[in-house]
Amino acid sequence: MDSHKVSLTRRNFLYGSGIALSLPQFEAFAAAESKLPDAPKRFVSIYHPDGVGLPLKADPAWEDWSWFPRGGERDFKLTKVLDVLEPLRSEITIYSGLSHPAARQVHGHSNADQYLTAAATGSHGPYKNSISVDQVIAAHSGDLTRHASLVMSTNGGIGGPRGAQTQSFNREGRPIPALNKPKQIFDMLFVTSGKDAAAKLARSKSALDYLIASTRSLGQELSLRDQRTLQQYLDAVRDTEVKLAKAQKWVDTAPPKVDTANLKLEADPTEARDYFQTMYELIYLAFLSDSTRVATFQLGRENGEGPHDLLSLAVGLGKAHGLTHDVKKPDGWKNLGTYNRYQAEEFGRFVQKLKDTPEPTGQGNMLDNTFAMHGSASSSFHLSRNYPIISAGGKNLGFNNGRWLKFGTGNEDNQVNAGIVTDAGWRGRIEAEELPLAQLFVTILQRLGVETDSFAGYTGTLSRV
Amino acid sequence: MRIAVLLVLGNVWALLAADTNLDRPVLEKARELGRERSRFLKETRTKPETNIAVPKANLAFFRERIGPVLKQNCIGCHGPRKSEGRLRVDKLNADLLTGPDVDRWREIYRVLSNSEMPPKDEPAYELADADRGRVVDWLTDELNKASLLRRNNVQHSSFRRMTKYEYDYALQDLLGLPYQLAGRLPPETASEDGFKNSSQMLQMSAMQFQFYREIGLKALKRATVHGARPEPVRYVISMQEEMDNASSGNKAKTFDKNDEDYRKNRTRPHLLHRETGQGIHFSGGNALPRSDAVAGHTPAVSPVVLVMPRSSELKMNLDRFLPDEGTMRVRIRAGRSTTKDTEFASLRLVFSAHTSNDARFSEVISQRDIPVTEPVEQSQFVDFDIPLSDIQRNPFRKLETTFPRRDEFLHIRNVSNAKNQEEEPLSVLVDYIEIIAPFYEQWPPKTHTRIFFESENASDEEVYGREVLAKFARRAWRRAITSQEVDRLMALFARYRPEFATFEEAMLEVLATVLAAPEFLYLTQKASADHLDAPATIRDVELASRLSFFLWSSIPDDELLGLAAQEQLKEPKVLAAQVKRMLADPRSRRFSENFVQQWLGLDALNSVTHITDKALRRAVQEEPIAFFTEVLEHDRSVMDFVHSDYAVINERLAAHYQIPGVYGPHFRKVPIAVAANRGGILAGAGVLAMNSDGKDSNPLKRGVWMLERFLHDPPPPPPADVPEVDLTDPEILKMTLKERIADHRNKPACASCHARIDPWGIAFENYDALGVYRTHVNEKLVDANSQLFNNQELAGMNGLKRYLLMDRQDQFASALVHKMTAYALGRPLSFADHAAINGITVQFRKRGDRLGDLVRLIIGSELFHAK
Repeated sequence: MDSHKVSLTRRNFLYGSGIALSLPQFEAFAAAESKLPDAPKRFVSIYHPDGVGLPLKADPAWEDWSWFPRGGERDFKLTKVLDVLEPLRSEITIYSGLSHPAARQVHGHSNADQYLTAAATGSHGPYKNSISVDQVIAAHSGDLTRHASLVMSTNGGIGGPRGAQTQSFNREGRPIPALNKPKQIFDMLFVTSGKDAAAKLARSKSALDYLIASTRSLGQELSLRDQRTLQQYLDAVRDTEVKLAKAQKWVDTAPPKVDTANLKLEADPTEARDYFQTMYELIYLAFLSDSTRVATFQLGRENGEGPHDLLSLAVGLGKAHGLTHDVKKPDGWKNLGTYNRYQAEEFGRFVQKLKDTPEPTGQGNMLDNTFAMHGSASSSFHLSRNYPIISAGGKNLGFNNGRWLKFGTGNEDNQVNAGIVTDAGWRGRIEAEELPLAQLFVTILQRLGVETDSFAGYTGTLSRV
Repeated sequence: MRIAVLLVLGNVWALLAADTNLDRPVLEKARELGRERSRFLKETRTKPETNIAVPKANLAFFRERIGPVLKQNCIGCHGPRKSEGRLRVDKLNADLLTGPDVDRWREIYRVLSNSEMPPKDEPAYELADADRGRVVDWLTDELNKASLLRRNNVQHSSFRRMTKYEYDYALQDLLGLPYQLAGRLPPETASEDGFKNSSQMLQMSAMQFQFYREIGLKALKRATVHGARPEPVRYVISMQEEMDNASSGNKAKTFDKNDEDYRKNRTRPHLLHRETGQGIHFSGGNALPRSDAVAGHTPAVSPVVLVMPRSSELKMNLDRFLPDEGTMRVRIRAGRSTTKDTEFASLRLVFSAHTSNDARFSEVISQRDIPVTEPVEQSQFVDFDIPLSDIQRNPFRKLETTFPRRDEFLHIRNVSNAKNQEEEPLSVLVDYIEIIAPFYEQWPPKTHTRIFFESENASDEEVYGREVLAKFARRAWRRAITSQEVDRLMALFARYRPEFATFEEAMLEVLATVLAAPEFLYLTQKASADHLDAPATIRDVELASRLSFFLWSSIPDDELLGLAAQEQLKEPKVLAAQVKRMLADPRSRRFSENFVQQWLGLDALNSVTHITDKALRRAVQEEPIAFFTEVLEHDRSVMDFVHSDYAVINERLAAHYQIPGVYGPHFRKVPIAVAANRGGILAGAGVLAMNSDGKDSNPLKRGVWMLERFLHDPPPPPPADVPEVDLTDPEILKMTLKERIADHRNKPACASCHARIDPWGIAFENYDALGVYRTHVNEKLVDANSQLFNNQELAGMNGLKRYLLMDRQDQFASALVHKMTAYALGRPLSFADHAAINGITVQFRKRGDRLGDLVRLIIGSELFHAK
């Protein structure tokens, strides 16, 4: 089976699964559908590996190249790493003191897998993950769009256990393969015709017709009481039928036409800026055409050579992972900071574009209806604590930006475990108290309309967000 | 006569009190005497009337004692004058069983038991403790009766869908695939009785329906093949060759078996020439597929072996050449270095990859460890079959580039109890290993020909298609298939056929639909056409399914279906012979496993975190199942579940129980002394550990468990918002656990429930959170003496067992009959079933309480044959 693209969307599930349907999210969105207001609610998460620079205060580089801002909740000051986001100050929120508790003493290299899932994926032995937050949202609202979600990464595919190359995991905790070729993503979003899908759907429809007929005839032979039990089965088949009809609708509808002026579909990571901007542009176009409302994008993979190194090389730096190791070399902190700054700059460009585009349905701009987050599962040098997270937008969803939100206690100035430069650092004692990042996910889920008070076993939302 | 018996009993109680050293004869004696007390044994009617009266509201007590208290203390604010919270206590119907106000009463129960009402600032309405206690007690009883009535008044049907585990076994048996197939389905919720196969709990949703369809098609595709036999990849690891390679370099560090320092070397895996005594360390290497190797070839036994001491492993890098799918057969020729009967060794397979720094995984891939039993001179092949598509593979194995790393590792591990300090500890000696993938016993495989069998009509798609469908649907739907049904399926096939290149591919799509149909997924019982709701007996084919789902957790086999088709299955002799056959079949292990797990609620062990030793965890999970199997196989009395003078344990558990002389990982019956403080189900570490809170025992949990699972007398559910025991109160912190519980129990609002629960749990206090026997906690003597609410004294575990055997045999027997019948029928029992349950219990007790008899009596009962 063509595993490189199978799970990207519900439609592609259909391609791969014969008459069997892969529409496990059905129940969740059937219930929610009627409640969703007109403006789409969107979620996008960008992940970058290898964390950020956190020099000690005593280090001369601290002034300019420490990732976290200085100051208070509203009057914070950005360092050179993030100052590219200054024009968007009122649209962003920076978080500190958040992490996933189960991973706090696991090497950062193993942790891209759990950034959106909060699962205890550990460091060795058997591997088990759980559903990622984007897929919970996709299960909730994915039926409203042609594609339930868009899953992308620079390296593509799924990666390996504890070396994920995708941010998205399905209900069973299995990785959803990420796409990494702009042309392929574009075709999938805006070109692909539905011939095969149509044939599959027709076959499924015949099977359902058969099952409904034979269930009816079985029902006639049952007692009234047992007929009521069988009714449940019939309802399940009918629900699936409704679902098929919706899938049919997308097959019958031509893909949206989009403006391709800013797309360089042949770009690969060696042309970092073009590639990066094209990937962001594809997310933007997918959102603009309401082809999907959920996207993840993993920039690189933890500890590994690969296409993402070319990104840092292309902006004149060394290989991405090496930058974190070389902070004590001349200009080390600066180089790492520059790479992170570059990432922030591209994220800012994407955010600005959403802000500049009026929401097609009329409620404010696109950014106001989008929660966009950008972060990593390690802060300083492979240390899986105090994740460096920025979010943008979501004003219409209830997010109040322009703030630096410090959570937890004991690390108000982000100096705990700062400045570590050896691989032993990640094992260090836990000295500061942090809050579970999953609580931010619960907040996000609720504001995007998912009725839940917990995620991955963590209950409750984050205050102040 | 009656008086005489009582006198004897009186003497026994004196004896019990006087000398606890005589526990063993006392427990045996208690069992004999307790049996004589059975009212079931005195029953002469074949169909005794139910003595479980349908509960009635206690209105007289309300009028006399409760009403006046409420009038005095509540009506002031919740009456005609004022009705705070829109509650008028004077208007409530005091019949909680049939009246409309049960929800309001529940609220009153809550505020009274939590002392929230009457309000503290209303001294005029202050409620005396005794009055509060009396109202709460009355409400407890009435609410409990109301819930009992609600549960038991509804007649449930046995018409239900398969559980997740039944569906999995059914697919495995139908297709001949020995692997778990349905792991993706959501787990089942247990009923109030604890059973997952209970009809009213087994719902169906669109999501589930879609999973069924996907899993079915996927399993069918695994069972069938197309095209020519694929050329397998073959690895051969010959220890002779490895020895030649390892010792060829000039840096090779060889040693001699006869040297002084061999003791040092022998604890690590090494290659050894058994004739020359030359050895060299070796724990793994690289292997590449060999085109010259012949699968299944058995070379002569080599004098060069890999010596694998206890816990060591051989780790072979198989690079990236294993196929994506199919079975990997791993053949390991292995023997034992010594034959001491106290030492055991088994082989286990682990699969791993290390794709980049800190991105690694490893997992055990063999379903069970396979023992190495023969001495090295008679080395035997140990064969493992691993489904390659089910295990975690290295996702990078197909990369063009070399990073992340693409290779995959197979580890062969010696799991053993050998004592390395012994003069000559047991090692596993391996001389030859072969890995073949995909491995096929024959081509096309049996799983394929079960579906696409040979037929002279094979070339005629229309005729052959009908043959294939009729045969498959008969087994899947467990009944004869009409030609109209085949017509309908063939119509579906005709629609699919043009879209597929081959007959088989199109047919699999139709077969997947057969597996998504309710006739497969549900245990049906068809009504007779004329009176739809009349109670009647099920037909032979339905009996075949009911039997097989009871004893095999799966679909009937051809023999059962054949007898049912000839309408012979209901013949008592035929039925008895089939039950005997079914219990002797390995599939009956599923009955022991699923019934015991659900009856005792062993799922709770999955959430226990304080058992950190994996072998111990597995052992405590297995013990009750092994014990039940022992009692079933030897048709022993179920009173052995209360107490037995034997335990069914393995070496790990024996060590936990400090019982000497038990070696090896297998479970077996071991005679034990009373001083071992074990025997029966109650003193098993699993039950004790899962009813603990991680740090310490939990008498409340153990008491509730005892009542719910063992005696089938569930206590009322805890009230909402129970006040927590205040652990910040220094006075409370100073107390022992038992004192704390007593303190809580003494609160009038809590007393009535806890008096029924706690004493049972306190009797277990000599066992800690891991089920280890103890006499002291924090240097204080453990006090496991308690008093039941009927003033019966229980002195620890032996006192509890004694009491159960003397006074509660009937209750336990009846509880077990109830539990097993509910499981056998796949539905909750109701008041209407009690007479039948009593009837079974009478016969069961009269025949001597034997477990096998219980199974047979249930299967022979009217209930089992009724719709």
